[in-house]
Amino acid sequence: MLEIQGLYKHYGKFTALNGLNLELKKGELFGFVGPNGAGKTTTMKIVSGLLNADAGDVFVDGINIRKDKKKLKEKIGYMPDFFGVYDNLKVVEYMEFYASIYGIEGKPAKKLIYELLELVNLSECAGNYVDGLSRGMKQRLCLARCLIHDPELLILDEPASGLDPRARFEMKEILRNLNHKGKTIIISSHILPELSQMCSTIGIIQKGTMVLKGTVEEIMQQMNVSNPLLIQVVEGQDKVISLLKRNPFVENIAIKGSNYSIGFKGNKVEEANLLHSLIENDIRISSFFRQEGTLESLFIQITKEEEGEKIEV
Amino acid sequence: MKFRMNPVYKKELKISVRTVRMAMIILGYNAVLALIGLLSFYFTFNYSFNNNIDYSGILQIYLILAVIEFGLVLFVVPAFTASAISGEREKQTLEILLTTKLKPSQIIFGKLLSSISSTLLLVFSSLPILAIVFSIGGIRLFDLIQLMLFCVTTAIFVGSIGIFFSTCFKKTVPSTVFTYGSIILLVIGTLAIIAVSYMIGVRNYDNLYSASSTMIEYNPPGVGHAINLLLINPAVSLLALLSKQFGSPSYLSSLLSHYGKTNTVIFDHWYAISILIQMLLAVVLLCISVRTLDPLKNKK
Ligand SMILES: Nc1ncnc2c1ncn2[C@@H]1O[C@H](COP(=O)(O)OP(=O)(O)OP(=O)(O)O)[C@@H](O)[C@H]1O
Ligand SMILES: [Mg+2]
Repeated sequence: MLEIQGLYKHYGKFTALNGLNLELKKGELFGFVGPNGAGKTTTMKIVSGLLNADAGDVFVDGINIRKDKKKLKEKIGYMPDFFGVYDNLKVVEYMEFYASIYGIEGKPAKKLIYELLELVNLSECAGNYVDGLSRGMKQRLCLARCLIHDPELLILDEPASGLDPRARFEMKEILRNLNHKGKTIIISSHILPELSQMCSTIGIIQKGTMVLKGTVEEIMQQMNVSNPLLIQVVEGQDKVISLLKRNPFVENIAIKGSNYSIGFKGNKVEEANLLHSLIENDIRISSFFRQEGTLESLFIQITKEEEGEKIEV
Repeated sequence: MKFRMNPVYKKELKISVRTVRMAMIILGYNAVLALIGLLSFYFTFNYSFNNNIDYSGILQIYLILAVIEFGLVLFVVPAFTASAISGEREKQTLEILLTTKLKPSQIIFGKLLSSISSTLLLVFSSLPILAIVFSIGGIRLFDLIQLMLFCVTTAIFVGSIGIFFSTCFKKTVPSTVFTYGSIILLVIGTLAIIAVSYMIGVRNYDNLYSASSTMIEYNPPGVGHAINLLLINPAVSLLALLSKQFGSPSYLSSLLSHYGKTNTVIFDHWYAISILIQMLLAVVLLCISVRTLDPLKNKK
């Protein structure tokens, strides 16, 4: 659906995008995460045809965005991070304006607008003036607006920024709903837990390059490897250490009473093997688990590493 | 293909019709115009002796009204166009527009149309008042139509100057300053340039003349063909139009021949040529604006 290859963008001497790659399949809900100034907005603007990249290619549904701007505009719906609405225009008229841009007028337009407002829970405000809407309502209106031509790819730049928890939840539900209807969606955000609940895949951008990309599980797994394995031993403590030392994946061991914290570089299967061998040796274990990493700690870890400060997990 | 109204124009129209402001402005403007018209009538007829109507007085009323209409277009249209694009940018609605199917040319055209049309609405709404002059005689219907058309072309010309600066600058304030600046330059500046270079030329000639001993006829040089600079001055176009309508080219010719020399062809068709040039300039400015607005053609 979306393919970004080696995207570069410079602002004067400053490199905002440094060979960014990204590939999204149809129906993905992709969370685009990165610290301030990482280049999320820049990437999204390039994909939406608002900025020229210095180098690299972008394909939306196989269309090179440099070559066929008209087709691109039919395929994408873009919601900027900051946007305004017109004064003296009612919600319905606001929608009618954008519908008329796509040549949708009269009865079909009325019907479509009604459906979209319903979708974003704004049908009750149809007669209100847009400049009188709350931030959350404007955000939802803008979302409804970018759905008017039924685009396949939605590019949403921080659609939940500045919203209260309730409004965030609503926005999340709407987006999930849209994703179920088959839309491919890219959302940028700083807030990781929110994205991890909602997105199918997540990409982490740092200084204009994608440092990590995968499904939420994959990313969790990858980060788990660097988290310690926590084992609570009830009986057979004398045998534990020698057993652990023989395991090739064990890197270090910290003991605190009956709790063992182990640096373990193995995957799930190797974890299971370790547990199996412990039990076979009559060691009685009450708990055995990998310390859960939050996406947040990963985020901080990755962004710190880039700055050259190794941090111990 | 079915005719479809420019969406931007339609939206602007909806917004402007909504407010009472427009209706009030139309009312106020026509009231002022009618008052001026009636007062001039009063003076023209009251001071005409022996029941002889002085038709030149009526022409003067027409002249006053025409200048007011012209001034209105000249100074009100830029107020709308100078904020047309920069206003959208400041309201943060431009980016959204640019990601829709709308072409930059449609945005520019819709904006120009809506900015011009509200002012032209004012001009056309005052047609009945102008028609009073016409009903008494001295001015033909054709002249009125011509004046209206002139207002349209002037609106397009100054309107595109506003649109141009509005796309060049991010903010409305510098755009407005530059727009009015260039209009003042066009109307007064060009005349000032001609006058100053004329005076410099005459002074130099005077020095030479007094220094030379041989008796030659005193014949200071004008600015020559530089006088054609005035072709881009809409006020001179109005002068040319009125001169033509009054059947006396004296206004225009005294201005032109005093300061410089013109080709007779240009002189004879001054009005048509100047309008043509101004429309060409408008097209060029609009094309540059369209290009500037297109995010992918515009470097940076
Ligand atoms: N028009 C511009 N001129 C100069 N530098 C710019 C411009 N736009 C963006 N930048 C720089 O490019 C970098 C990337 O900006 P971008 O807006 O893409 O970041 P972001 O990931 O969206 O950040 P945020 O999370 O704050 O929205 C920033 O360091 C910013 O300073
Ligand atoms: Mg951003």
